[in-house]
Amino acid sequence: MKACAKWIRDGIGFDALLIAMALTYLLAFAGLPLLYNIIISFQVVDMFSLNQLFHEFAGWDNYIEVFHDPAAAEVLWNTTLFTIVSVFFQFTLGFALALFFNQKFPGATWFRGLFLAGWVMPGLVVGVLWNWLLSGDFGVINWTLETLGIIGEPIFWRSDVDYSLISVILANIWYGVPFNMILLSVGLAGIPEDLYEAAALDGATALQKFTTITLPMMRSTIGAVIALGIIFTLQQFDLFAAITSGGPAGSSLVAQYWSWELSFRQFEFGRGAVIAVLMIVVVLGVTVFYVRSTRQETRL
Amino acid sequence: MKKLLMACAVWSLAASTAWAEDVTLTMWTVANNAPEAVFAQEFSEMDNGIKIDVREIKFDDIIAETLRAFATKKNPDLISVDNPNHAAFAAAGAFLDLTSFVEASDQINMDNYFDGPRSSLTWDGKPYGIPRASNTIALYYNKDMFSAAGLDPDAPPSTWDELYDAAKKLTDPANDVYGIAFSAKASEEGTFQFLPWAQMAGGSFENINVPGAADALDLWKKLFDEGLTSPDTLTRGQWDSTGTFNGGNAAMAISGPWELKRMSGDAKFDWGVALLPGPSVDAPRASALGDFNIAVFSNTENAEAAFKFLEYQDSQVERLWPEFSRMPSHKGVALAPTGDAKIDAASAVFVEQLQFARNRGPHPKWPNISKAIQNAMQSALTGKQSSTDALAEAAAAIAKVK
Repeated sequence: MKACAKWIRDGIGFDALLIAMALTYLLAFAGLPLLYNIIISFQVVDMFSLNQLFHEFAGWDNYIEVFHDPAAAEVLWNTTLFTIVSVFFQFTLGFALALFFNQKFPGATWFRGLFLAGWVMPGLVVGVLWNWLLSGDFGVINWTLETLGIIGEPIFWRSDVDYSLISVILANIWYGVPFNMILLSVGLAGIPEDLYEAAALDGATALQKFTTITLPMMRSTIGAVIALGIIFTLQQFDLFAAITSGGPAGSSLVAQYWSWELSFRQFEFGRGAVIAVLMIVVVLGVTVFYVRSTRQETRL
Repeated sequence: MKKLLMACAVWSLAASTAWAEDVTLTMWTVANNAPEAVFAQEFSEMDNGIKIDVREIKFDDIIAETLRAFATKKNPDLISVDNPNHAAFAAAGAFLDLTSFVEASDQINMDNYFDGPRSSLTWDGKPYGIPRASNTIALYYNKDMFSAAGLDPDAPPSTWDELYDAAKKLTDPANDVYGIAFSAKASEEGTFQFLPWAQMAGGSFENINVPGAADALDLWKKLFDEGLTSPDTLTRGQWDSTGTFNGGNAAMAISGPWELKRMSGDAKFDWGVALLPGPSVDAPRASALGDFNIAVFSNTENAEAAFKFLEYQDSQVERLWPEFSRMPSHKGVALAPTGDAKIDAASAVFVEQLQFARNRGPHPKWPNISKAIQNAMQSALTGKQSSTDALAEAAAAIAKVK
């Protein structure tokens, strides 16, 4: 007993204990649900067999059904487009703003803080606001564009198959920019000032400073921000629910929304789980990328 | 002093009821001001030893929430459930078979209800609940706009062709007026609005791929293509769509009696209601059957108490229309005049329309069937598929639903 206490106090026992606690937590609250999700994806689970521990085995049926669904190809394309375009603009706009607010002008930090206001709002609230802004007949965005003479006819952002995904992307870019900006600002603040001073003495132009100092020094931050951006974008659900509900005619249906719809609207839990499993595989890939970029950070 | 007395009175009341060993039931519903919630409140205040705790759950979530609760045996004793969802619970044995209770009851007689609502809660020939109320959809039209467009305000369109012509004449983009507002949303509301059109043309949910249903979709598509309805009809629910009618931005609207109260306050024009137009004058009539049923869960420990509440609910049928603007599911209960001439004229039309209202289902996998219909509707209306192809795909999907 005493030896045990000593092992915990003085030996590696304390380290082991801490790790065990974290590991137990992870296994119980992330590992088990993950595993269960994978199991369900191979089973027949409907409304009323949800409570049973064992379900009928379905083999690859759920997977085959999902891939043969008429919506599958469009969902794949929409999800890819949504993720790439959202992350690209969230990152570039966020980076531009981070650089801008990194200039020492009065009120810079205040303004930077204000930008966060959008990000702390719940996604559903942001979605409802954009839903109103994007309304076809009475929306502010259409009114502005028409008044400025940019468009002649109102655009039915939410109801036009050509615009529905763009509407959600617009809202998502707006929603994600502040987060990108703040993380990138932190990265920028970490670059030693003397590097720029030395470069200035050597006569480097602003562009040269950016490409030879800022970008290389920011590599790990950029990697992390992009990886997180992809993960958050793949998680984005609220905006779809509030703006287009994946419609019309599936034109803005993405994997995460489809998974929810299959599970909780049509109660096809097996097929919903299949999509979740496929998304986990993608996110896992992104996570490896994320871990690699942050590992470099700790080495610095 | 007065307050103190009140407090004492409340305390002693609470104490005395605590003595009586109350039975406490729980009920889930989508609105705290819905009839069953109000009746439950009154029922709780009676001296019968039964108290009902009502919990409000949003319409969009109540089914998923209930399933989760039922899976973990944390479900309520009573629930008010949208009628197309009733069969799934009844078929799975989640709801209590009320046969023996109904046989012994002096109050509840299943033959008192219209066939539609009764069949929505009947599974395998047995009753699994009672209807709360019934509603249906019909055509609202703006009489002032009819007159202005040279149409007879006392002869609303009665066929699809007439409806199209009227919508065309009434559309006035310069004044932001669309001919007609309805809902083709990819949700249960969309199915609710479209299915009657297919039914009037000889289709049904088991047999959705009929030429008449394709004609209906083609007509809807024409309304979109020619700008006679807002493109947002594709994504807007009935309540929001009818809002544009009330605001004078649509000359006609398809919706139900739940709109009457708001319309009589908001609409600053003369309006009327007509039966849903059919493909031809002699086509069979059809409309959607809406509203909720109230059911008891099979795992309740207080089935008698729960059934007593159903009896109370059933006994208050006369109040549904005047107090809640809901139409009784009981045969032969006249809707009392409200004093509002437009509402009273409309209610007569809705009563007539309700006779032709047909169920969605009953089918334990209704959400899947409904989804197939929504998909067909949306892909035809957005031009992704032709109406016939879209309906053929829907029919194939529905056939696959076990």
